[in-house]
Amino acid sequence: MRAFTQALAGILVAGALATPVFAQELKIMAPAAPGGGWDQTARSLQQALQTEGLAKGVQVNNVPGAGGSIGIAQFVNQSKGDPNALMVGGYVMVGALIANNSPVKLDQVTPIARLTGEYEAIVVPTSSTIKTIGDLVAQLKADPGTVSWGGGSAGGTDHITVGLIAKAAGVDPTKINYIPFSGGGEALAAIVGGKVTAGISGYGEFEGQVKAGKLRVLAVSAPERLAGVDAPTLKEAGINVEVQNWRAIWAAPGITPEQKASLISTFEKLHGSKSWKDTLAAKGWSDTFLAGDTFGGYVTKEVEQTTAVLKDIGLAK
Amino acid sequence: MDSFASLLHGLSVAMQPGNLLYAFIGVTLGTAVGVLPGIGPALTVALLLPITFKLDPAGSLIMFAGIYYGGMYGGSTSSILLNTPGESASMITALEGNKMARAGRGGPALATSAIGSFVAGMIATIGLAFLAPLVVDLALSFGPAEYFALMVLAFTTVSAAFGNSALRGLTSLFIGLALGLIGIDLQTGQARLAFGIPDLLDGVEVTTAAVGMFALGETLYVAATASRSPDKIEPVRGSLWMTASDWARSWKPWLRGTLLGFPIGALPAGGAEIPTFLSYSIEKQLSQNPEEFGQGAIEGVAGPEAANNASAAGTLVPLLTLGLPTSATAAMMLAGFQQYGLQPGPLLFTSNPDLVWGLVASLLIANFMLLVLNLPLIGLWVRLLAIPRPWLYGGILVFATLGTLGANPSAFELGMLAVLGVLGFGMRYFDYPVAPVIIGLILGPLAEQQLRRALAISQGNPSALVETPLAIGIYVICALIVVGPLVWRMVSKKPLPVLASSED
Amino acid sequence: MIDGNQAPVSSRADKAAFLIAAGLFALAGVVAWDAAHLNAAVATYSRVGAAAFPYGIAAALTALGLGTVAAAIKGEFPDREELELHRVGWILGGLIAQIVLLGFAGFSIATGVLFAFTARGFGGKPLWATIPIGIVLSLILYLVFSKGLELGLPQGPLERLF
Repeated sequence: MRAFTQALAGILVAGALATPVFAQELKIMAPAAPGGGWDQTARSLQQALQTEGLAKGVQVNNVPGAGGSIGIAQFVNQSKGDPNALMVGGYVMVGALIANNSPVKLDQVTPIARLTGEYEAIVVPTSSTIKTIGDLVAQLKADPGTVSWGGGSAGGTDHITVGLIAKAAGVDPTKINYIPFSGGGEALAAIVGGKVTAGISGYGEFEGQVKAGKLRVLAVSAPERLAGVDAPTLKEAGINVEVQNWRAIWAAPGITPEQKASLISTFEKLHGSKSWKDTLAAKGWSDTFLAGDTFGGYVTKEVEQTTAVLKDIGLAK
Repeated sequence: MDSFASLLHGLSVAMQPGNLLYAFIGVTLGTAVGVLPGIGPALTVALLLPITFKLDPAGSLIMFAGIYYGGMYGGSTSSILLNTPGESASMITALEGNKMARAGRGGPALATSAIGSFVAGMIATIGLAFLAPLVVDLALSFGPAEYFALMVLAFTTVSAAFGNSALRGLTSLFIGLALGLIGIDLQTGQARLAFGIPDLLDGVEVTTAAVGMFALGETLYVAATASRSPDKIEPVRGSLWMTASDWARSWKPWLRGTLLGFPIGALPAGGAEIPTFLSYSIEKQLSQNPEEFGQGAIEGVAGPEAANNASAAGTLVPLLTLGLPTSATAAMMLAGFQQYGLQPGPLLFTSNPDLVWGLVASLLIANFMLLVLNLPLIGLWVRLLAIPRPWLYGGILVFATLGTLGANPSAFELGMLAVLGVLGFGMRYFDYPVAPVIIGLILGPLAEQQLRRALAISQGNPSALVETPLAIGIYVICALIVVGPLVWRMVSKKPLPVLASSED
Repeated sequence: MIDGNQAPVSSRADKAAFLIAAGLFALAGVVAWDAAHLNAAVATYSRVGAAAFPYGIAAALTALGLGTVAAAIKGEFPDREELELHRVGWILGGLIAQIVLLGFAGFSIATGVLFAFTARGFGGKPLWATIPIGIVLSLILYLVFSKGLELGLPQGPLERLF
């Protein structure tokens, strides 16, 4: 009966399109302003789900603010038990919720799937005297203050990665000299211009400059070397750090196991579809799909690890 | 690479009738959406971008360029006519432009803004084409220390927007600085003045502040004094078109505005606002009629408008040469370019010359189309002022809240708009200037973050702030601005016209 | 840049100016109080921490407050127009109504009410005539921006019909 009324509503809204009756009318919240990574993920999902006929219609709405803290709070309060409500988010949210002391936590939403991910890269300008990650770590150990790291906002993925590197190298994480920049553009200009010792961000941010020969990649935070990137992993260099800046999709709290299973299967189908593969290729996103409770367990571990690092850096109590 | 031949080829593609039509549609849509208060160029581009996806790459690129320029110009139109800037970069335009519009000189104000935008857009786009590699080297030599010097320079010139009392002007500025503290401190990740309210963690949105203090504050003040002011504004008094004296007073500010806007816009953290502040201040200093500033001086529209448009073309320098989106609008444009397979970055000029020159040609065509479309429409735009006030101001508030809700659909943001509107109303009532609040809100956080960044990199050594010739050079300019007029007066033994008028 | 142009309106002290000064002192106090409660333990190499600028701004606001008191005593505040606050009340009422209605009545009804109240503040037609006009106008905007341009605006019963 519910499916029938939904289909009816769908027909009223979208006009008489020939789509299967069981397809859902989905709502995806992007807890960020239009244009950013989460928004792009939400809109790409909207397009792919509709093209593949996996959803009757998909609405995207933006609730920007505080690294997703505002979006998730609204999502938990307003969508409880709604089987059609979804929220995009990612690793940045993990740190933001901890640092902002958010009363809403990621274990309150229903994990559906991790979709894409990007690894961090550590770079220096080509003219730098630092040639390898070993050189950089040696300087960090000798005098951590002289190594200024340019990256994104305090407590974000970049900052957390630097904290993890310091810890793994046996350096006091509170001694790192991390310089947060507000937008990707400004950080990149400071790194290329040699205003900071090293830069850290998702590899995609640096790709153009690396290919143009302006930046040298010292290491990446991936489990194994990245195709087309001439740099070791941090692990190879003896620093036991692996960080993935992932993006994922969650469903509302309080939905039934059947509803959860149905959503997981929708996204598994999407993951196998041509539209989604094309989207990943066009946007240059790596496919790091992980579904359901496996993903839920992964999030729990990420939250634990991140809480520990943020405490070490001094950003969380 | 023969740049000139490539540009001609690009122009020949853009001049095809079908593409001209797309440029026309783009400019029209961009102007129509951009004219709404609270909807600046970034949101205009974001809203209209999907429409361009349906066309072939050349056509969509051209329509996109049209939307972009149309959105920019539309924002100035509402600033001038209604005192409701849709974004912070056209706030300075509102200062003098709206005074002109109220005096029945809306036509010349819109014309100098359109032609100034055109001139600045043309020069800056050509600059983009031929000087980008040079300008980008300059941009990269700016680090936190140099940016801080630039902010100090901007602060030394804000007094131009203070109106007739230093006490009230400074009070406005510091209220803006206090508002700018709200939110997460970027350097340490700590919340300041947020009082545990999550909606405050991202700080006060500049657009909300500008729309609240200008559009809403203005509406409230006009309402509160409604029965003593004439029910309608006379839309045209004197000439609808620019007079010879208007031309004579406009052309130098256009060029000076362009010279300020293009290089500062090209700096990754330069932005569009700072060149408009600087331009306004310089024009006030250089004007033969400084007493007209604050009453509707055409130089105060011509210069900042040119600076605003030139900085937009400047923004494209780091975007195209480095792939750095340095403003909200640029970030939207980057998303747009990627849809056309254009991957901005250091190799773009060599790997995709066709696309780059196609884009430059499109920008030139769109800029020209904007002039063709808007000059004849000026007569129509100024008639907006003839709409009876209940409907006009009702409509302004509808659009202002639509723009605010479009960017962030939350009741909190509307509440913020209302609070800032009441503040703007109170400040108008007590004759406090409103613009310094927004200037403080923009410059304060920039200056603070750059200073702390510079000091962190040097591990607390303050001499790092004055280490480079560039930073020293900017401080020298600051010193000249402060002591220059005094020295000038001593040397020439006669009072400067600027100072004379304010000390009468 | 001095109050040269302003002829003193009265030799009496200006009460409203004292209120403004009080407001500035209060703002300075809040800014300084907040700065004092920041976590000083967060490591930074810059020496200028998160609290430095707030303290500076608080000090400047205090000084400006004192300046305002001095100006008030000297009667240096400019002449003011008489206000018709009931008109302001209508418009603010419209804004508050919009904020309250937005959650459940949707964009069109909430914004239509704002339109009508604002028009009323300017002495326009009675509400029974302007509210429907405002709702229709807002609904058209909603359709253009929400359907045509996919801007996510709050929905209510009217919006769900489309």
